[in-house]
Amino acid sequence: MKRIVSILEGVGSVVQLLVKSVSYAPTLPRQWARFVEQCYLIGYTTMPIVSILSFFIGTVLALEAGYSMEGFGAKEYIGSLVGLSMARELGPMMTSVLLAGRVGSAITAELASMTVYQEVDALTVMNIPAARMLVLPRLAAILVMMPVLTVIANIVGWFGGAVVARYVSFVGISSESYFAALRHYTKFKDVIYGMEKAEVFGFVVVLVCCNIGLSTRGGPREIGAAVTRGVVVSLILILVLDYFVTKVLM
Amino acid sequence: MNTAQQTARVGLFFLLGVALVWVTFETLSNGKIFAPKSHTIVARFDDLRQLKAGDDVLMAGVKVGSVLKTQLAGHRGEAVLQIDSNIDIASDATATVAMSGLIGGNYVSIGMGTAGLPPLMDGAEIRTVESPDLNTIMAQLGGLGKELQSSLGSFSSAFNGDPKTGGGIMQKLDKLVTENTARINATMENLQQITDKINRGDGTIGRLLNDPKLHDELLATVDEIKSAASQAKELVANAQAVIAQVKSGQGALGTLVYDKKAADDIKASIADLRTVSDKIARGEGTLGKLISDDALYNSAQITLKKADRALDGLNDSGPITAVGIVANALF
Repeated sequence: MKRIVSILEGVGSVVQLLVKSVSYAPTLPRQWARFVEQCYLIGYTTMPIVSILSFFIGTVLALEAGYSMEGFGAKEYIGSLVGLSMARELGPMMTSVLLAGRVGSAITAELASMTVYQEVDALTVMNIPAARMLVLPRLAAILVMMPVLTVIANIVGWFGGAVVARYVSFVGISSESYFAALRHYTKFKDVIYGMEKAEVFGFVVVLVCCNIGLSTRGGPREIGAAVTRGVVVSLILILVLDYFVTKVLM
Repeated sequence: MNTAQQTARVGLFFLLGVALVWVTFETLSNGKIFAPKSHTIVARFDDLRQLKAGDDVLMAGVKVGSVLKTQLAGHRGEAVLQIDSNIDIASDATATVAMSGLIGGNYVSIGMGTAGLPPLMDGAEIRTVESPDLNTIMAQLGGLGKELQSSLGSFSSAFNGDPKTGGGIMQKLDKLVTENTARINATMENLQQITDKINRGDGTIGRLLNDPKLHDELLATVDEIKSAASQAKELVANAQAVIAQVKSGQGALGTLVYDKKAADDIKASIADLRTVSDKIARGEGTLGKLISDDALYNSAQITLKKADRALDGLNDSGPITAVGIVANALF
């Protein structure tokens, strides 16, 4: 019962934080520097790890597809499988998971330490709401950066699959054939669909991590616990939301 | 890092993202946000199989549209096809549900139809041709497999047979070989001896194969036969030419065989001859009387006797009066 109440409290505080943050949206132009800083942290610094991960996801997908499809002579469809999988599911999904691990943890740790060390209280005393100064720029930044990260993940993953399709002997299909199948079966709306999912995931990850960080109570030990909780909750929410968002968008 | 650098990097990163989105859009959608203008036609089939909305519509292998939706229309399946507006489909063109691969989906294939005919208008129904379903083909293949299995079983039973009835062909063959091994060996030995003799040049065949003189004689004989055959051929050709001449009515024989007038003349001559012979037989005329009347014979005989005597007298009187005596005796 206590657990359920705790979950409900968490949901309620997240909704409150969202409403407060959105209500401060008109102040965003005055926080341009903070917005750019968050874009840099969330987008620019995350790009390398997203690229590396997506490249190898693409390669593994092509390998597995090649291994499976070799048996019934359907290797020409590897491009379509990699293209659709990356665009509709794995691109946004893995980008969000990386975001939760790298950016979500950083946000939770930063806000939890600010809360623990009463910096948030100091801001509140100065009539600077945390939702306005600490949360809104991050939410705006993730909305701008998430599509960029997702499209980079998609394209790098596609090229990873093309490398495997071309150079791994038992797959052995030409790049032209790979990209022809990819282009034939993957539409731009699939890419847009993946970006919409990524936006939802990224927004939820940042919002939840901000909320957990700002809700941290206690001393420095609680900061670590808050980070762990923030990452775990983010990952669970990504997977649960993935089902519902897919269902809604399908 | 100062704020300006940070802002520049974020800006560059954002522009990179926008550029990638644009490249993706251009690559996957050919730069078209909205679908091109199109018109719809309806194709009704007994079985749409796994045709679904979004499947391609191809003409001569080129995509000209897509399946808008599929629905039931009475007892048939109806596919509404969205065709690009710049594509005209002839009114006698036919549509077929085709498979894109064993594991792939289906698509609608439209024939070119007759050039010059008016195109199908928006909402018109296109003629359709049912194509065999994969399941039907597989079922037929299954039946074929059973028949093949049955045939192979028959072959197998023919070869192996029933042990109670003495086995099949193979068993009988094996038995035959086993029982006649000694004879087969003897036959083989005989064959070996014959071939040895031939190799040594013994016997007619051996000499023929090994003696060059005999070989030359044989060749000369063959040449003579060839020459005789050539002459015979020439003879036959001449005979054919003669026959051709006869057939064309040339020459005596040709006239005799093929000339109707000559035949009629001959018939008339024969008839005349018969008339004469009949008269002779009846003793009519001089010749008839000569043949059938003895009196004439007797008178001739008497006359000849007189002539004989006259000649005798002529020998005595001399040659000068011989003519007068003969004339006197005769007349």
